[in-house]
Amino acid sequence: MSRNITLSIFRYNPNIPGDTPRMQDYKLEEYSGMTLFVALNEIREKQDPTLMFDFVCRAAICGSCAMLINGRPGLACKTLTKNLPSRFTLMPLPVFKLIGDLSVDTGTWFRNLQVRTESWIHTNKKFDPNALEVRMSNETAEAIYEPERCIECGCCVATCITANIREDFIGATGINRVSRFLIDPRDERTDREYFEVVGNEDGAFGCVGLMACDDYCPMEVPLQKQLALVRRKMAAAGLKLDLKGMKIS
Amino acid sequence: MELAKNLQKTLNQKANPKTDLYVDLAESVTGIILVGFLWMHMLFVGTIYINNGVLFNSLSEGLDKYYLAQIGIPATVLVILIHIFMAGRRAPMRLRDLRIAWRLTKSLKHTDTWIWVGQVITALIIGIMASMHLWEIMTTWPIEATKSAHRVALDGIAFMGGFSIKYYLWFYVALLLAGEYHAGFGLYRIFVKWGWFERHKMGYVLKGITLIILFIGFGALYMFIRLAEMVPLGGALH
Ligand code: HEM
Ligand code: SF4
Ligand code: SF4
Ligand code: FES
Repeated sequence: MSRNITLSIFRYNPNIPGDTPRMQDYKLEEYSGMTLFVALNEIREKQDPTLMFDFVCRAAICGSCAMLINGRPGLACKTLTKNLPSRFTLMPLPVFKLIGDLSVDTGTWFRNLQVRTESWIHTNKKFDPNALEVRMSNETAEAIYEPERCIECGCCVATCITANIREDFIGATGINRVSRFLIDPRDERTDREYFEVVGNEDGAFGCVGLMACDDYCPMEVPLQKQLALVRRKMAAAGLKLDLKGMKIS
Repeated sequence: MELAKNLQKTLNQKANPKTDLYVDLAESVTGIILVGFLWMHMLFVGTIYINNGVLFNSLSEGLDKYYLAQIGIPATVLVILIHIFMAGRRAPMRLRDLRIAWRLTKSLKHTDTWIWVGQVITALIIGIMASMHLWEIMTTWPIEATKSAHRVALDGIAFMGGFSIKYYLWFYVALLLAGEYHAGFGLYRIFVKWGWFERHKMGYVLKGITLIILFIGFGALYMFIRLAEMVPLGGALH
C-alpha cells in the first residue's frame, strides 16, 4: 500500500548572502510506519544534503524537531506520514529565530524564559546531602508531574497569536512552568514574588484564551488547566483574597 | 523579569504593579455584565409574545417611570465604552500584527482561533450597529409595541426595478446574530481563561443558551411583523 508523497519544504538560509525564501518540492515513496523524521533523513541522504532540520532523540523527548506540519505545529518524529495528505507543506516554527530551512533556535528563547521566570526552587534551607529527602504527598507529586512533562518544543508558542505579536509574552509553556513552582511546597517564594514574575500582561494576564496551545501541545500537557490556575492564583494574590478552599485560588 | 525590561517598562511596572490585573479583570467583568444585559434585553423583547404586546408596553412604561431607562442606558453605554478599551487592546491593531494573525489563523485551521477572529469582526459590527440601534430608539422614545412593530415591518427604499428590502428587519437580524455570537463565545472565552468548567462540555451549554436566545429574537421579529399587520400605527392594543 505504498504511495508517492510530495513534501513542499520551506528553504532559506539567512547565512548565504542573496538567498531568498522559497518552497521546494521533494518526492518520496512512502512505506508503512514512515515518520517525518525518516522521510526528512531520506531526503537529506539521497536527494539534498543541504536541507537543514533538527533531530536528537527521534522519540518525542528532546523537543528539537517541532515544525509547522501542513500549517499546524507538531513534532516531526511523532508524526506518521500516512496521516498526512499525499502533498503537504513543512515550515519552520514562527516566533523563534530562524537558523535555516526548518531549523530554528528555541534554545535562546527558552533560556531567556528560564531567567525571567526564575525557574528554580527558591529556598533558604541548607542542602544536607546526608539527610533523607523530604516527603511529598503522591497527590502533590502528580500535580507537579503534569506541567513538568513539557519538553520545550515551542509548539504552544508558535501557535499562539499573542506570542506571535507580543514579543515579551512568555507563552503557555512559560506560564505552565510557573504553575509547576506554584504547586511545589519546596519553593518558598511568596505570592507577592510570584505576582512580580507572572502577574502581568507578559504573563498570566496576557493570555487571550485561544487554546491553540492546549489543542496542539504534542505532549498533551493540560495547558488550559495550568494557565487558568496561574491566572486565578495571581488574581487572588493581587486582590489579597485569602480564599483557601474556594474556587478562585 | 528584570533582564527583559527597559526603562519604560520598569517605570510602568513601578507605577502600579497591579494595573495589568485590574485591566484583565475589567475586561472579563464588563464582558459578563454585557452578556447579562444582552440576554435580559432579549427576554424583555421576548415579552412581545405575551398578550399582543400589552406586557411589553407596561415594561417599557415601568422602565421610564422608575428612571431605570434614564440610568440604565447611560450606564450600559459606559460599560460598553470601558469594554471596548479593555477587550479591544487584545485585538491585533497594527497592520503588521493583523498580517501575522491572519496568516497564522489560516495556516492553523484551529477552531477556537477562528472563533476569536469572528469575535473581533462581530465586535466591529456591534460597535457600529448597536450605536445606530441606540440612536434610533432614543430619537423615537418611548418604546411602544406598535411603534416597534411598524418599524420592523417597514419596507426600505425601493431600488431600481421596484425591488425593495425590509431594511429594519434585516438590520435586526444582522445585529442579533452578531450580538449573540460575540456574547456567547465571549462568555465561553471568559470561562476558558479562568478555568471554572471543562472546556468542551461548557461549549455545548453556551451554544444551547445562544440558540435559545436566537430563537426568542427571531420569534420576536416574527411577532412584530404579525402585530404590524393586525394593528395600524398608533392603534390601541387590547
Ligand atoms: C452586546 C455587547 C457586547 C457584549 C455582550 C460583549 C461581550 C464580550 C465578552 C464576554 C468578551 C470576552 C472577554 C474576555 O475575553 O475576557 C468580549 C471580547 C471582546 N469584545 Fe465584546 N462585547 C460587546 C460589545 C463589544 C463592542 C461594542 C466591542 C468593540 C467594538 C467589543 C469588542 C470586543 C473584543 C475586541 C473582544 C476580544 C477580546 C479578547 O478576546 O480578549 N465588544 N466581548
Ligand atoms: S507545553 Fe507542550 S507545546 Fe509547549 S513547549 Fe511544552 S511540550 Fe511543547
Ligand atoms: S490560550 Fe493563551 S497561551 Fe494559549 S494560544 Fe491562546 S493566548 Fe496563547
Ligand atoms: S527528535 Fe526529539 S522530540 Fe522529535
